[in-house]
Parts: sequence; C-alpha cells; structure tokens
Amino acid sequence: MKKARNDQFFSNLEKFVNKVYPNQLQRQPYLSLKSWPSPRDEAWKFSRLGKLARKNILPLNLENQQDFSINKLIKDSISLVFVNGKFEKKLSDKLLSEIVIEEVQIEDFKEIINKFDNLSVKNHPTLNSTLSCSQKFFKIKFKNDIKFYKPIEIFNLGGSENTSIHPFIFIHLEKNADVQVFQHYSTYAGLLAPFEIINLSENSNLEIIKIYDDKINSHNLSLTLSVIKEEANLRSFALIKGGEFTRSEMHTLLEGEYSNADINGIYLSSGSQHHDLTSCVYHNVPNCKSSQIVKGVLGEESTAVFQGKVRVEKLAQKTEAKQMSRAIMLSDKAVSNSKPELEIYADDVICGHGATVGELDEDQIFYLSSRGISKQKAKVILIDAFLNEMISLSISDKFHDIIYNETKTKINKLLANEYE
Amino acid sequence: MPILKIKNAELSINNKKILKGLSLNVNEGETHAIMGPNGSGKSTLSYMLAGRDGYELDNGSISFDNTDLTQLSPDERSNLGLFLAFQYPVELPGVSSTNFLREIFNSRKKYLGENELSHLDFIKHLRKVAENLSIKDEMLKRYVNFGFSGGEKKRFEILQMALLNPKISVLDETDSGLDVDALKIVSEGVNNLKDKKNAVVVITHYQRLLDYIKPDIVHIMSDGKIIKSGDADLALYVEKNGYSEILNEKS
Ligand SMILES: Nc1ncnc2c1ncn2[C@@H]1O[C@H](COP(=O)(O)OP(=O)(O)O)[C@@H](O)[C@H]1O
Ligand SMILES: [Mg+2]
Repeated sequence: MKKARNDQFFSNLEKFVNKVYPNQLQRQPYLSLKSWPSPRDEAWKFSRLGKLARKNILPLNLENQQDFSINKLIKDSISLVFVNGKFEKKLSDKLLSEIVIEEVQIEDFKEIINKFDNLSVKNHPTLNSTLSCSQKFFKIKFKNDIKFYKPIEIFNLGGSENTSIHPFIFIHLEKNADVQVFQHYSTYAGLLAPFEIINLSENSNLEIIKIYDDKINSHNLSLTLSVIKEEANLRSFALIKGGEFTRSEMHTLLEGEYSNADINGIYLSSGSQHHDLTSCVYHNVPNCKSSQIVKGVLGEESTAVFQGKVRVEKLAQKTEAKQMSRAIMLSDKAVSNSKPELEIYADDVICGHGATVGELDEDQIFYLSSRGISKQKAKVILIDAFLNEMISLSISDKFHDIIYNETKTKINKLLANEYE
Repeated sequence: MPILKIKNAELSINNKKILKGLSLNVNEGETHAIMGPNGSGKSTLSYMLAGRDGYELDNGSISFDNTDLTQLSPDERSNLGLFLAFQYPVELPGVSSTNFLREIFNSRKKYLGENELSHLDFIKHLRKVAENLSIKDEMLKRYVNFGFSGGEKKRFEILQMALLNPKISVLDETDSGLDVDALKIVSEGVNNLKDKKNAVVVITHYQRLLDYIKPDIVHIMSDGKIIKSGDADLALYVEKNGYSEILNEKS
C-alpha cells in the first residue's frame, strides 16, 4: 500500500471543504494549515503524530444510518448526542427552557479565539481542521442565575477507522449560572478533533468532566479554550482511558479578578497507548487561583506526558498557582514524561510545582503486608487510594463513585495484565 | 510452651552487620522487655521478625510456633499470629481507616477459619474496641495514620493489635510520644489482651512504661546482641544507673 504523505489529511480536508461548503468564506482561513506539527515543535515533542500523519484520513460526511444507544452515567441527566460530529436531536433529550442551543458563525466566537495569541493554539490541527469542516457550530447557552441540578451529558459517537470527525461546541454560562457537564468521547474515529470553547461570565460556575474512552485505533486531539471572568470558577477534570493516542489540551485564560481554574486529570494507560494531558493557564489579572494536578497509572509499554504551563503576567499580583504530577509505573517498559513550565513576571505570587514518577511505595506495601494483606492485594489497595484521593480532590462528592467506577474497570484490567 | 525462638541471628544492611548473634526465647504467657541505647538494633530486630524485604538473616534461625519463620512472607507471618506495632507507623493517604481495619480483621478471620463479620457487625465491634482505647469515630473516618498526631498513631497500632488478637506482639517504642494519660490507656489496652496463651515483647527506652506493662524478663541489648537478661529489677537498675555500667561490665 502506498503511504500517505505527511500532509495528505490536509489536502483531503481542503478538497472536502471546497466541495461541501463552497460558499462559506468564514472557513477558508483555517485551510492555511497544511501539515501536522513536527516532533521538533516544542508543544508536540513528547506526543508525536507520525503514525497519524501516515494514515490517509478523510473527513466524514455521511448521514448517520446506524442505531446508537447511549449509556448515561447520571440517571437524571440531560443528554446531547453528537454522531459523526453532528448533533442528533432524535437521540438527545428534550431541552429545558433554561438552556438554549443555537447555531452560530465563526464571527460570533472569533474574538475569544484571538485572545489566545500563541502559535500552539493558532497552529493547532484541531482548531484549524474543525473550524474549516465542522458541519455546524453550536453554542449552548445557560441563562443568568441558572442553578442547574440536572447535569448535561454530551456524547460523541460514531466514526470509522480512516475518517475524521469534528465536533464543535461553545459552552456559554451567563452571570451566576451554575452548571455541570459531562463530555463523553467514545468514537471509532481514526481522528477525533473536538474543539470546545468555554466562556464563563461573572460569578458563574462550571464543573466539566471529560471521559476519553475512544476505541483502540483512535487518535483524539481534543482542544478546549476557556475564558473566565470575575469570580467565576472552572472545575475541569479529564479521565483518559481509551484510544491509541489521546491528548487533552486545555488553554485557560483567567481574565477577571478572584476567578479560579482547576484543570486536573487522571490517565490510565495500557498496551501501547499514548496519553497526553496538556494544560496552559494564563493569569492575566491579580488575585486568581489555579491548579493543575495530574495523576497517572501506566502499564505495559504505554507512554504518557503531562505538560503544564503557568504564565503569570506582570499585573497578576497575588496569584496562587499550583501544579503537580504523579505517575505510578506498573511496568518497567512504560514511560512517563512531565514538562512543567512556569513563566512568572509578577513578584507577589505563590507558585508550587512538583513531579514524581515511580513504583508504589515499599514502606506502604510492607505496612499493609505486615497486617496480613498479600503483596498483590496491597498494591491494589494503594492504587485505589491514589485514584480515590485524586477523584475526591477534583470533582463534586456526588459524582465520586461514578467516576471511581469508571477508573475501576480499566485498573482491574491493568493489574490483571501486570500481575498475572 | 515456647512461641518464639531466635537463635544466633546475624543480619546486615548494606553490608554492615547490625545484628551480631542475637538469641531470644519467648514462652506462652510471658511479657518481655528489650531495652538498649539508640542504634543498638532494636527496630532492626522487629523488622527482621516481621519479614521486611532486605532484613533476611545471614546466619541463625527463627522459629515461631514450631514453624521456620524465615521462609514466610510478611502477610503469612501476620496470619500465623505475629504482630508488630511500628515505631514509625506508615501513612496511607487515600485508604480509609475503617475500610483498612475491616480488611485486616476479615482476612485474619478467614485465615483462622472463622466467620467474617458483616459490615454492620464489624462496625459495632470496632466501636467497642476503639472506645476502650479512647479512639473517636472521627479518627476512624480519616485516612490511615494520615495527619494523625504521634499519640494517635500509637493508639491506632494498638487498635489493630486488638482486632487481630495475635499470638505474639512486638511493640517497638510504642510509649514514645505518649503523655501519661495516653500511656495508661495504651498499657491497659495491651494488658487486657494478655492471656496465658499469648506473649508480648515491648521495646522501650524508658522504665516508666514497665510500671504499667509488667515484664517477666528484661533484656539489655547493645551492638546487635542481648548482653544481659534479668527480672523487672534490671529495668529499674538501668533507669537509675544508665547503660554504661552494664556495657563496661561486658567489654
Ligand atoms: N536502612 C538502613 N540502612 C543503613 N543502616 C541502617 C538502616 N536502618 C538501620 N540502620 C543502622 O542499624 C543500626 C540499628 O538501627 P535500629 O535497629 O534502628 O536501632 P534502634 O531501634 O535500637 O535505635 C543503626 O546503626 C542504624 O544506623
Ligand atoms: Mg528503633
């Protein structure tokens, strides 16, 4: 079979856009990206796209013919279902009057994108491919003062091995809104390029939990840009389990004073999976807090990276930024990288960071064994504890058990492979 | 009836000899005290008994209930009825104390061929045992040893001892860091568990613990060996005169 050139996907994309959306000039600027980031690109050094680049991937434009069923994690949630990147009203729950879904144009959110004035955002393959070929640009708006006790569950489904899908969503919370969103990525796509924009108005609260569980041949290059206003609060948690390659990349701009962002995550990698949590938090104003805390468990020959960047502008005095990563290696063939970057231009700030990689603690294993617990069981208890602590720290109590169960299935598989 | 027989134990860590021919016999129903200066190898002895990695014998033998202990893993030794109260109990963030206690309680029951307790029955049992050691419910809701004060950690060790009901317990400086009230509570806890069938070995620096836990035999340990054994009066003698005279006597 003839190998695709490194830019094959991008020429496929250009043909596709010119054929399907010939009159939509708004899409054209995003066709100027012609190739995948190279390994020399600092932002992609630890997450190489060579294998994806060699695939001849075509954007998917099929009407969905299949039947899909969804598994809600939360019994009384409101589901929004996207199949092949298209919103499926029939499969979704009926919306309540407090939520508005509307189609928007790139013009309507371009200003937000332009706030992220750096090349790793501007040249991001997901931003460019999804803005040029996403079928529709949807905005979900939560009205003023909404205290939303039913979580929203967004499902991304569909795809096939040599096609790409490009869901776009713009989540907008008006003042004082308080909302919880689950994002499920469970596709078969060769390339899934979900692009999300989050806009939090004054004093709003968003808890967003992303569960990456695509099928084993998938590349998921998720990108989220968030802008946070005064006293607003973003609590983001990513759980990465699936895919051949999954990168969850978040850029978070703290733009209003006394705002807060927690960008945490857990990855559980096995086989030859590669998992990547990349997060940049920009402190542009004083008196804000952020945390980027990532924990991972790696088995077999899997690899993973945490890239955490904090930028504190000169003006942003009294910033508190915390960063930490910890990885547990179950196999000596697994590789974990951590790349912390602190760019601090203000002087009155508290910034902490730390990274540890290692096996389970021998003293802890001995303590448990000395109480009659087998070494194997002791390891299971300690990994459970490691994840439990992280989940408690990162998400609301009412979701704790649900997310813990989501980790449990994968962990049991990992342990079975390593310790049998 | 002998429970524990240590014969000429020699052990090194990083090629440095720490135990240099230590012998000790403990019989059913007895309470032993081991005293000795810092660095004499008391904690090393306790880790050797518990079966910690890296604490294998170079020479000598240990038998426990007529079983060769050296061939067993730490969990097997615990199941047989050996318990070590750690000098420095290990923190387990993320592991709830109650779940941990239930896990170790039920695994011992299972080993003994006795019925495990249901969650509710276990909680009732735990409450009773904890109350005797003045351990509050609130503490059991926290993670194991995590953020416990020195005294809380020591009481938590004795709580585990009470739940496991071991044949022999080695208490490594369980008295250090305890005030007089806590010392009384802990000692009472230990004394309540004592019967004609089991044995206790307390490792301590201070005679004051031995006012509460009365030893039948006192051993003085120095430089990896037991250099003198006697009755409870030996501890009083050491308290008054220090170790130096006994050490000089030997050399
Ligand atoms: N992990 C270790 N590595 C090297 N030396 C050790 C280690 N643990 C203990 N030792 C040494 O072994 C000796 C005995 O220590 P220990 O058993 O803790 O004494 P004690 O409990 O009587 O104070 C000391 O000289 C100590 O420095
Ligand atoms: Mg000691």
